Amino acid sequence: MPKIMIIEDDLDIREELVLLLENEGYIPLVITEFTDVPGQAAQERPDLILLDISLPGKDGFSLCAALRKTVSAPVIFVTSRDAGMDEVRALSLGGDDYITKPYRVPVLLARIKAVLRRSIGEPEPSDVLDAGGLRLSLTKGMVSAGGRGVELTRNELQILACLMAHAGQIVSRADLIDALWDNQIYIDDNTLSVNMTRLRGKLAEIGLPDAIKTRRGMGYQL
Amino acid sequence: MTLREFLSDRLLRIIIQLLCVTTAALFLWATGTQLGVLAILLAAFLPVFCAVHLSDFFLQRARLRELESILDSLDQKYLFTECTPPPKNLYERRVFDLTRRACRDMTGAVSDAKAAQREYREYVERWVHEIKAPITASRLICRDLDGETRRKLTAELARVEAHVERALFYARAENPEQDCLLRQVTLEKIVVQAIENHRFLLIQNGIRVETEGLDCPVYTDEKWAVFILGQLLQNAARYRGEAPVIAISASSLGKQVRLTVSDNGIGIPAHELPRVFERGFTGSNGRSRGGSTGMGLYLCKKLSGFLELELDIASGEGRGTTVALTFPAKENLTKL
Repeated sequence: MPKIMIIEDDLDIREELVLLLENEGYIPLVITEFTDVPGQAAQERPDLILLDISLPGKDGFSLCAALRKTVSAPVIFVTSRDAGMDEVRALSLGGDDYITKPYRVPVLLARIKAVLRRSIGEPEPSDVLDAGGLRLSLTKGMVSAGGRGVELTRNELQILACLMAHAGQIVSRADLIDALWDNQIYIDDNTLSVNMTRLRGKLAEIGLPDAIKTRRGMGYQL
Repeated sequence: MTLREFLSDRLLRIIIQLLCVTTAALFLWATGTQLGVLAILLAAFLPVFCAVHLSDFFLQRARLRELESILDSLDQKYLFTECTPPPKNLYERRVFDLTRRACRDMTGAVSDAKAAQREYREYVERWVHEIKAPITASRLICRDLDGETRRKLTAELARVEAHVERALFYARAENPEQDCLLRQVTLEKIVVQAIENHRFLLIQNGIRVETEGLDCPVYTDEKWAVFILGQLLQNAARYRGEAPVIAISASSLGKQVRLTVSDNGIGIPAHELPRVFERGFTGSNGRSRGGSTGMGLYLCKKLSGFLELELDIASGEGRGTTVALTFPAKENLTKL
């Protein structure tokens, strides 16, 4: 499991980050003494470092430069400083990514995943999803079942991908819309209904008209 | 200063002098001086009088021109008395000293005011950065809550953030050159970020956003452009109509790029349209829907002026509003 070092002086954020990262299957390492951070990092050997800029003593910029000398782990700046200059400076000092507070939790997790994938070669997310008797190819935009396949539009593809990723669970309409917005598909409730109807039509074409169940008042379930 | 103005200013003195000359001539004539002698005296003294006045006129005019050119060359006009050679004449010197003392007092007041404004700006920036820590913590805490409560609370946090953001940019707009960073960035990146920043508001209001043709580069400050676009999205969400849609598209105008944001909202009454960029103007829509600060578009205008963006707005009541942002061509940007 990748070890993630949290260098953050705000106690509440630190505690919540520890919980979040544990839930996501990482091993959080926390810095509580802000003296000799590079030394502590060298000892703990994290796979990734989350670094705040406003810290007691040395600021994050000089800390990043110092960390670069002792550890090879990628550094993600997580800061409330949002001027363009700060970002340029952070990246030129060897930062691998720059996230401004307040961030959305899924965004933070996605960026952590992306940086880890680059650095320790975590496998690329699979292109093919299998669930509920369906096989979905994300790059081809094709869903197939029992040897029959049908092409999906971008919206239908993302809806189905979200349902398949949570196969068996109920996914609420709001969560579906959230997931679509994450993929730059900015639709509203009505458009979701229209797309859902079309998607069901296409699933019927390949012989699975009832693959997606409606759970009244709760959402959809694959 | 013209000769006419100069003479009219000295009219009383000249009249008194002429009266004295006339009285003296009459007196001399009455006591038996010959008219010929009088004529010689007058012919000798009148040119002297005239020469004195004329030389005064030319000296004063030259001095005034010198002072005017000094004032014109000054960037901070209130430093005028500090940069001017003192006059030689006693009375003028005294007046000049008084003016200089007054100006020094003002210079002090101006630099105090500037320092106070800078400190205030720094305080606002620090405060904004500090308030983001508890907002971040709250966001992280929210994720443990169940769906509906989480969504509602996150939406409220997003509102807090939008206000905080406006305060930050209000402070920044006072000295925009300090953190402006013009770079090449694609419109898509700006639009995706702005939508991401306001997604809670947009989703909550059931808004559909259509984007088209945003894959073109512009030269601008990314954060500021995201802020400006964010204000437009917030307005579109606040003044939405039935089945709200926001369409964001880009078109190229030679070397310039125009980003158009249109909504199908309630629109702005024609007579209020010219005033929407005024500071604190809320209009009838703002009053009826509430929550309007009258700051969003004002800040947009101010920041786009600095980024050399053209900001145009068109609207019809009941038909929606279209805002066009025209990004300058790279070579036309003067402040880099």
